[in-house]
Amino acid sequence: MSIKHPTRRQFGTTLASSFGGLALTDLLASDGALSGTHHPARAKRVIQLFMAGAASHVDLFDYKPQLEKEQGQQWDPGEQVELFQSSPGVSQQSYWEFQRYGDSGKHLSEPVSPLGKHVDDIAFVHNVVGQTGVHSQGTLLQTTGFNRPGFPSAGSWVSYALGSENENLPSFVVLPDHRGFASNGVKNWSSMFLPAQHQGTVIRLGDETPINDLYRPDSITKAAESDALGVLRALNQQHAAAREGDSRLTARIRSYELAAQMQLSATEALDVSKEPQYIKDLYGLAPEGPGVDDTKINHKAEAEFFGRKCLAARRLLERGVRFVQIFSGNENGFPRRNWDSHDDVKRDHGPLSNGMAVGAAGLIEDLKQRGMLEDTLILWTTEFGRMPCAQRNTGRDHNPFVFTNWLCGGGVKGGTFGESDHWGYKPLDPNNATQVYDVYATILHLLGIDHERLTVRHNSIDRRLTDVHGHVIQDMLA
Amino acid sequence: MRGALTIISAFFLTISGTAADSHPAHAVLEQNCIECHNSHDKKGGVALDQGPLKLDDLELIIDVVSGDNPEMPPKRDPLSLADLLVLEKWVRGGATIPDGTVLTDKRLADRKWWSLQPMISPSIPAAGQDWARNEIDRFVFAKWQEKGLTPSPEADSRTLIRRLTYDLTGLPPTREEIEAFLFQSEQNADTAYAKLVERLLASPRYGEQWARHWLDVARYGESHGYDKDKARFNAWPYRDYVIRSFNADKPWSRFVQEQIAGDVLWPEDPDGVIALGFVAAGPWDFIAHTEVGEGKLDGRIAKHMDRDDMVSAVFNAFMSTTVQCAQCHNHKFDPVSMEDYYRLHAVFAGVDRADRTYDLDPDTAQKRINLETDIGRIEQEIRKLEKKTEDEGGTELKQSRARVAALKTANLADLKIVPEHGYHSAIVKSPDEEKWVQVELAEEADITIIRLIGTYDNFGNIGAGFGFPVRFKIEIADDEEFETNVRIVGDFTKRDFTNPGVRPVDVTVEASHRSMQFVRITATKLPHHNNHMFALAELELLDAHGNNLAAGVKVTAKDSIEAPNRWRRENLVDSKFTTGGDPKAIAELAKAHEDLTNILNKIELPERVTEIEELKKKKAGKEKKLKGLPTGKMVYALAADFNPRNNFKPTEGKMRAVHLLHRGDLTTPGARMNPGAPPLWDGVAPEFALNSINEGDRRAALAHYLTHAENPLLWRSAANRIWLGHFGRGIVDSPNDFGRMGMTPTHPKLLDWLATRFRETESVKDLHRLIVTSSTYRQSSVADPDKAAIDASNAFYWRANRRKLRAEEMRDSILSVAGALDLKMGGPSFQDFKFKNDHTPKYWYHLHDPTDPETHRRTIYRFIARSQTQPFLTTLDCADPSQMVAKRDETTTALQALALMNNPFIKTMSAKFAEQAGTIDEAVWIALGRAPEDAEKDVLKNYIEKHGMPATARLLFNLNEFSYVD
Repeated sequence: MSIKHPTRRQFGTTLASSFGGLALTDLLASDGALSGTHHPARAKRVIQLFMAGAASHVDLFDYKPQLEKEQGQQWDPGEQVELFQSSPGVSQQSYWEFQRYGDSGKHLSEPVSPLGKHVDDIAFVHNVVGQTGVHSQGTLLQTTGFNRPGFPSAGSWVSYALGSENENLPSFVVLPDHRGFASNGVKNWSSMFLPAQHQGTVIRLGDETPINDLYRPDSITKAAESDALGVLRALNQQHAAAREGDSRLTARIRSYELAAQMQLSATEALDVSKEPQYIKDLYGLAPEGPGVDDTKINHKAEAEFFGRKCLAARRLLERGVRFVQIFSGNENGFPRRNWDSHDDVKRDHGPLSNGMAVGAAGLIEDLKQRGMLEDTLILWTTEFGRMPCAQRNTGRDHNPFVFTNWLCGGGVKGGTFGESDHWGYKPLDPNNATQVYDVYATILHLLGIDHERLTVRHNSIDRRLTDVHGHVIQDMLA
Repeated sequence: MRGALTIISAFFLTISGTAADSHPAHAVLEQNCIECHNSHDKKGGVALDQGPLKLDDLELIIDVVSGDNPEMPPKRDPLSLADLLVLEKWVRGGATIPDGTVLTDKRLADRKWWSLQPMISPSIPAAGQDWARNEIDRFVFAKWQEKGLTPSPEADSRTLIRRLTYDLTGLPPTREEIEAFLFQSEQNADTAYAKLVERLLASPRYGEQWARHWLDVARYGESHGYDKDKARFNAWPYRDYVIRSFNADKPWSRFVQEQIAGDVLWPEDPDGVIALGFVAAGPWDFIAHTEVGEGKLDGRIAKHMDRDDMVSAVFNAFMSTTVQCAQCHNHKFDPVSMEDYYRLHAVFAGVDRADRTYDLDPDTAQKRINLETDIGRIEQEIRKLEKKTEDEGGTELKQSRARVAALKTANLADLKIVPEHGYHSAIVKSPDEEKWVQVELAEEADITIIRLIGTYDNFGNIGAGFGFPVRFKIEIADDEEFETNVRIVGDFTKRDFTNPGVRPVDVTVEASHRSMQFVRITATKLPHHNNHMFALAELELLDAHGNNLAAGVKVTAKDSIEAPNRWRRENLVDSKFTTGGDPKAIAELAKAHEDLTNILNKIELPERVTEIEELKKKKAGKEKKLKGLPTGKMVYALAADFNPRNNFKPTEGKMRAVHLLHRGDLTTPGARMNPGAPPLWDGVAPEFALNSINEGDRRAALAHYLTHAENPLLWRSAANRIWLGHFGRGIVDSPNDFGRMGMTPTHPKLLDWLATRFRETESVKDLHRLIVTSSTYRQSSVADPDKAAIDASNAFYWRANRRKLRAEEMRDSILSVAGALDLKMGGPSFQDFKFKNDHTPKYWYHLHDPTDPETHRRTIYRFIARSQTQPFLTTLDCADPSQMVAKRDETTTALQALALMNNPFIKTMSAKFAEQAGTIDEAVWIALGRAPEDAEKDVLKNYIEKHGMPATARLLFNLNEFSYVD
């Protein structure tokens, strides 16, 4: 036993955005807050596929023969269950047949069978647990790591940590469902207490102006625009010259050049028309494009919507975007266009999951053939799962007690990492459930970031994406 | 379990600390280790609070706290050498803790921290005599002497008026104001400046500007956030209250107290209720509160989170203290225990956020109270009389009632209810208003039977036959307008039709009238369900073979409530209607009803019936009067009483039980907590001494706690926020956190001088005046490389900070220079989006017409939706309404450039600007507050000639000079 001399320890990074100060050097920096990664990175970029409304694990990825045995009998887990809308009904087997795929023989249900081709590359986590069965809180928990508003999105954290590889494009891009935002709206991609350039930039595919204010108004001619940029630069430089030492002024001059470049880069990146037909087919794009008939929810339209987002995402990621968040499903409304299948799993989950599977399978295939899957991490997630028992014969209520995530590429290996119990009601091993913190700890790890060391002090707490929790799922690392 | 007793035992230990068997190492443990290593939390499986210690290797204790990079205590300074030696000696001696001694976390009692020291007005340094204008300058100058800094020259008058006008009003000065000020400054600069300060502080624009700062802190928004982001149409009175309070220079303690307990402390003042909008301002989970509700765990979690938001808001905003860190464990750095935190929850245990009424006129308020009391009394009398009847009716009456109820339920059982109810007319006040619905067959056809099927809607417990007309007729005609050859084929207008429930009513058409194309059902007497309406599930037109020719045909109606999927015209012919309802059972039910009536007739005394009727009449009269009163206005605020909605019910002042929650987990509640607040200064008891059980008294106690003269935080916190608003950085640059994880003051004495003065004057305007008239504030913003080498971030104010306009200031400025700004104050917020009050409301910004003059008001009057924030302003670093923003971000991005170049608002305002300015001279004066320089003139002249004034205006809006204030 010996006493060594103690030394003063470093606190976490403090976010000092003092306005008016001269120390603001990284205003437009495409560099991240981290100077280099904590350890060598396996993945460079992330694409998050979010199923809004809560996708049913037992009907898609988590095969439960026990439910087939109990089909139609009163479901009895041997304890009292408090459900969101209903009281527990009869055991309900998957609304679709499951079949084995790949060398692993992993079971997938019929509408998500397009993923069968890649099933050996996918890491399934069937024992993810949530905290509540309330959509808003479940969604926030999965997108920000906290079940209440006020915290930066995972995409914002990644953008903040690593910055962008292409300053002509936003580092964090969001492709919402064109029919509306998921629960909490923009809160799912807000930067909150991180600098605002790390908030997700919404891109509306197929819209005349896919990014807000991307193009000059019709009242401004091309000549007026280019002359304006010239005059602006000249006058701003003159103004800055009289105010030496204020880097903000020069940063702002530069921001107009970047804006002009972004107009070109974004337009080019989002133009999928030049993609060859076989690529369009790979992603399940419809011949009639985004205008495909959607009056009644259907497979073709859902594949078009989701596939187009996946294709656009690939093009963005290829061009240096760091994090893309894709949503399938809007807020709750009539007619239903999200995964909240209280009333009819077959009607809604069928087209939604098939469209998702077509697009996601195309994405995996395409990334693979371009050599990008190695360092592109895909995360499939949702706010919670759905119950093993039926709601009104054709639906299912919320299940925050267990649900499925899957990851692919970017240094994860295929397999199943965490099982649910024989109903898909709770984790098989309650002491070793997976939480959103573990998923994000793993994702940050693959990006070369120690999740405990990516911190920003906010109101007394060194905040992390993983709160005070999180373990890297070591087994999943390739 | 660590309940309230912990505090007492901690206190006891302090006193008995000199006991012979106590070891000085215990104090080291209590200061550094017990927080986590206690018998309850047992972090890492280690507890050090009671002997004998259960540790395999005692030396581990020393290992983890010593060395270059000691593992313990985490995230804090390592132990001092002296403490280490004490600890080492104790471990060598066997690491004993005597029986019966329980060590407790002592950091909590530790108030050795700058912000918790009593506030004493410091002496004013004798520094900078020749330069200083007031005390602020002396303090600032004294710091310069320490650091080797000197002041920058004073800014010129043009810079000063722009800086001051923006800081105090958020708007640019006009040309006239600038020219007048420059002229006056030449006569006497100080007098001109003082006059300018007074003019701006007296301007209503001042309140609008500084209210915005406070609303950032108050996380003010006008929708709930979360899922189904419902609008709060009555949030705005709070926003107006804040503006009003700043303009009136309301004493700070009153401003604070009103926002916590104004309804209790000033019940006669409407501001007392409106101010409660502060605590209610944050996000609220509509689904978790209304659909899930407190009956379920998820609902109780939501209530917990709701109170957490309230408690955090109050303490972060007024006290710069992060109490929320004590939700799962004692605060790791500041003296706030879990008990303290849950006592604060208990303060708000009887309130929710909801719309509540307030009356601007005290007379009306009194009348309302009187009438409500009278009505309550009458209702009681009626109930008393009715109870007499019930008592006299005895078992017979009870059984009869039960039978009716049972048959009603039995009738329900075999119903197959469809969600597509049918057609529903508009709701009207009178039964005599006619309503009609009609169908049009594709071509003329022979119809034998016209079949009407009633709806089933359990709204108001009506069920089968909802909306079926009491009297009606069926007509056919040759044209859609029913103008030619109208014939009645079924007449039920002469007497009341017995409601058929959902049983089909078949009307056989006379042979002479069978050929038809247009068929209309007209209700001539409407049924009464609170109001009157006509509803029908299905209309079938059957031919001789029984085929329904009306399925899917065109339906028109006089009017219709379109509420898919339940109600809409098409539902009348969608072949979907509720079926079942055994006719026998229906007959039985009718019989049971009759029996019940007979029983009642037997026992009811005519006098009693009359008496009840009289009372009911009296009640109706009072209710009418109540309705006739000017309606109380509504504000979204804290409320114990409000209109319930599903599972969201008012407490009516009854307290919810608040328990200490370890790890914040509701499933393992600890001791029940009484209301109180953290004892952050001497002489405060952790629990409030309350003799009453009134909900409001808890909040009143908190209000008094906050504004206590000895409270070291309240005044420092507020003075720091005002300073921040002027200099762009706080003396403490973590304005919501004065704790150990926050930043320390750059000028502690200056802060204390400002805070003590503020405690005395309670005047925010006095602080403004002091700050803006100081020499410190009036310096130029020009940088000096030598000084920057000493203090690059200008933490010591050796020059003014050039600042970027905030999002609102930017928008307001553009409106202002374009001559479009409407200065109308207060009232409901303008909406710069298209609103659709859907199941999930929509806030469509892209559908907004930017030329709409209604939206050309100051940005503080904008409707602030949470789930869909305004894209233009969000890009410009506008505060996010879902979090408390103590200090705005300042970023510079390409997206900002795109927004300021291309947003439709810019296009609109460029055109408006062009109407104001004809020449380059005028344009530069209006936009930048100065004459153009020669070089600029040439460049701009060329541009205007080629591209016109609107394009030039757009360019001017985008200049750095437009965005920055020197």
